[in-house]
Amino acid sequence: MKRRDILKSAAAGAAVLAAPAIARAQGSRVLKFVPQANLSSMDAVAGTQYVVRNAALMVWDTLYGVDSSITPKPQMCEGHEVNADFTTWTFKLRPGLKFHDGETVTTRDVLASLKRWMVRDTMGQIISARLDALEALDDRTFRFRLNKPFAKMLFALGKSNAPVAFIMPERIAKTDPFQLIKEYVGSGPMKFKTDEWVPGARAVFEKFDGYAVRPEAGDWVSGGKRVNFDRIEWIILPDAATAAAALQNGEVDWWENPISDVVPLLRKNRNLNVDIGDPFGNIGSFRMNHLNPPFDKVGVRRAIMLALSQSDYMQAVAGDDTALWKACPGFFTPGSALYTEEGGDALKGPRNYDAAKKMLAESGYAGETIELVVPVDVAITKAEGDVTADLLAKIGMKVDYVATDWGTTGTRRAKKDPVAQGGWNIFHTWHAGADCINPAPYTALDAGGDKAWFGWPKSDAVQAAIGEWYAAPDLAAEKAAAVKINRLSFENVTYIPTGFFLQYTAWRKNLTGVVKAPFPVFWGLQKT
Amino acid sequence: MLTYIARRFAATIPVMAIVAFFVFSLLYIAPGDPAAIIAGDQATPADVERIRISLGLDRPFLVRFGGWLWDVLNGDLGQSIFTNLPVTHMIAQRIQPTLSLMAITLVLSLATAIPLGVVAAWKQGSWIDRMAMITSTFGFSVPVFVVGYLLAYVFALELEWFPVQGYTPIQNGIGPWFNNLLLPAVALGLVYMALIARITRATMLEVLSQDYVRTARAKGAGQRAILFVHALKNAAVPIVTIVGIGFATLIGGAVVTESVFAIPGLGRLTVDAILRRDYPVIQGVVLMFSFVYVLVNLAVDLLYTLFDPRIRY
Repeated sequence: MKRRDILKSAAAGAAVLAAPAIARAQGSRVLKFVPQANLSSMDAVAGTQYVVRNAALMVWDTLYGVDSSITPKPQMCEGHEVNADFTTWTFKLRPGLKFHDGETVTTRDVLASLKRWMVRDTMGQIISARLDALEALDDRTFRFRLNKPFAKMLFALGKSNAPVAFIMPERIAKTDPFQLIKEYVGSGPMKFKTDEWVPGARAVFEKFDGYAVRPEAGDWVSGGKRVNFDRIEWIILPDAATAAAALQNGEVDWWENPISDVVPLLRKNRNLNVDIGDPFGNIGSFRMNHLNPPFDKVGVRRAIMLALSQSDYMQAVAGDDTALWKACPGFFTPGSALYTEEGGDALKGPRNYDAAKKMLAESGYAGETIELVVPVDVAITKAEGDVTADLLAKIGMKVDYVATDWGTTGTRRAKKDPVAQGGWNIFHTWHAGADCINPAPYTALDAGGDKAWFGWPKSDAVQAAIGEWYAAPDLAAEKAAAVKINRLSFENVTYIPTGFFLQYTAWRKNLTGVVKAPFPVFWGLQKT
Repeated sequence: MLTYIARRFAATIPVMAIVAFFVFSLLYIAPGDPAAIIAGDQATPADVERIRISLGLDRPFLVRFGGWLWDVLNGDLGQSIFTNLPVTHMIAQRIQPTLSLMAITLVLSLATAIPLGVVAAWKQGSWIDRMAMITSTFGFSVPVFVVGYLLAYVFALELEWFPVQGYTPIQNGIGPWFNNLLLPAVALGLVYMALIARITRATMLEVLSQDYVRTARAKGAGQRAILFVHALKNAAVPIVTIVGIGFATLIGGAVVTESVFAIPGLGRLTVDAILRRDYPVIQGVVLMFSFVYVLVNLAVDLLYTLFDPRIRY
């Protein structure tokens, strides 16, 4: 018998005999979850942090929702009508939709929410640019009238990539899209307990009894979101050793992203399951600044590709567990419909440092010192940065390894100035595979120059190919456009993918129904 | 005495003002951008810039400092950039776990270190003395997080006597509250205990060689009375000074301990705020810590008068 048991028995006497059963019954209605990061805000429209999006998926609902085949299905909507040339989209809300404050969801709320979302989201901005009118026909029916066809409307409204088109009460949705909302009222299956929120430590979600569950089975963010818990508690455990111990001890039920170092330890515990969490994984990114020499020259960028070994990067990021990573000579997510290796030959086969050096010299590399910004507080970017420092040295480039933190990198990478004035040459990051399944959520693929993502790559040909994907009426046309995008992006070296890697998730065996998805799915879970 | 206390309180105002200006300046020149963190990794540079403007981070230094200072003078520490929660609310949420941790640490450390130091001095050169000094050297040498992990592994994971992480408010029962805090307090208190034990031993050695101790012995006073009544009281002033100085060490150690044991205290709040560049929270917490530190110094000065009647203010 353990000391705690003795104390309990002594203190509570006979009454405590019944307590374990009661505690178990109550415990099975509470899920304790360790998220990937601290939940520091709760606005998944103004911000694109994954952890915020994951929390918001419980609190807010969407008009449509993608299932595990990335097909958008009606969610808050009953359905829609669209004309032949995709310029008029009419939607009807389901009856009985309620917000957590008891108010009925109406088209006023929908219109305000969509207007806010369209300012922040890439697809929303495309819709906005083609918009003649977004109008309410009655309390449950609304319509988009566009001046140009937009075939991807359902995907735009149902995608799970941030910013998600969440529907909020009108008063909240009227918040400036560049400011965080201050009230967290949605119509999703869980209510956010603001009074119990201790940022950096805990966030609590309580079951919303008024949620209008769809009759279908839940599948990712579509279908019936049946939550079998009264409360879901997010316990923020930034220390991996503590999280591992808490999971083994049964103090938490599910740890979203255990680091690979502790996975062997978790696997040994017979009470735990460990498996790949997100089948879409992540794509590592070697991001160059196209504005500053020497990476303003496409030849220099191509020279790097000749020497870059994806397996070196992936081993540094994910270790020797080959189930966790593979080479990825393509920009789209391996295994997704649009994945192609067209144009990616430079990343295949043995690495050729001599050829890289020769190409560097021919391309006009004048011995500039490369400002390599490495956020050393994030394990993945630290690993990538170390490999890059070694790679650049091998091909004769001078490197200034700037060890810094992620917060500082966030500021530095936004600087378009020359290196001497605080600019940069290279930084690393990674993109969630779910964001790389097609060009819509894939901001890193954009080559629109000044308006593109950090590094500001510019290629009219890439932009035109992306436009072709948006106009594609079917999957075959989408695939043709993707092949073109991939080839042109490699020619332009928009950025260099450093490989594809997966991450584990771990949960206690008394928790059933954990599904593989790019976000934690809390509906359908049960705890015994 | 009251005049002295009032004067000391008045003196905290310029100290706090200097601290406030210093912290604000440091944050202003430090790299990092909360707007970039809010916007997330997929945001465009234009999005980040718009958020910066909406947060007022594009305004000049003096405008921002002036606005913040005015709010502070009106009792408003501002709102977190990320959560939109008032900084005072966030500090209030976190103060109990930190105070609890520090209180238990303080009690445990003093209760262990002072007798240990006294006995070590009394039995100078004996095995007790050597063991006491080895223990305190260990306490100094091993980092707090290593001790924390070791304790968690043995007592939480293997023996299952204590929880690995978390905090139970005292309102939910003293037992669970203490159960959650004992391991962190031991981890945090080890270095503090080592510091006090060594100072107590050194001071006691000096005091025990004084004439009045010999006189007390000659008068037939018992060993316990000599040690704890005559000697310890006269050794108390340097010990109290070290307890005060050590308080700063405790604040620093609490940051690590709270992270290892996932205690939702002020230490973790500070670290999280710094990593996210949540300026109002950083400023609020640092201001509060500096005020607490000024209060501790004042308390130490006042305690001197208790132990040494010659000291008067």
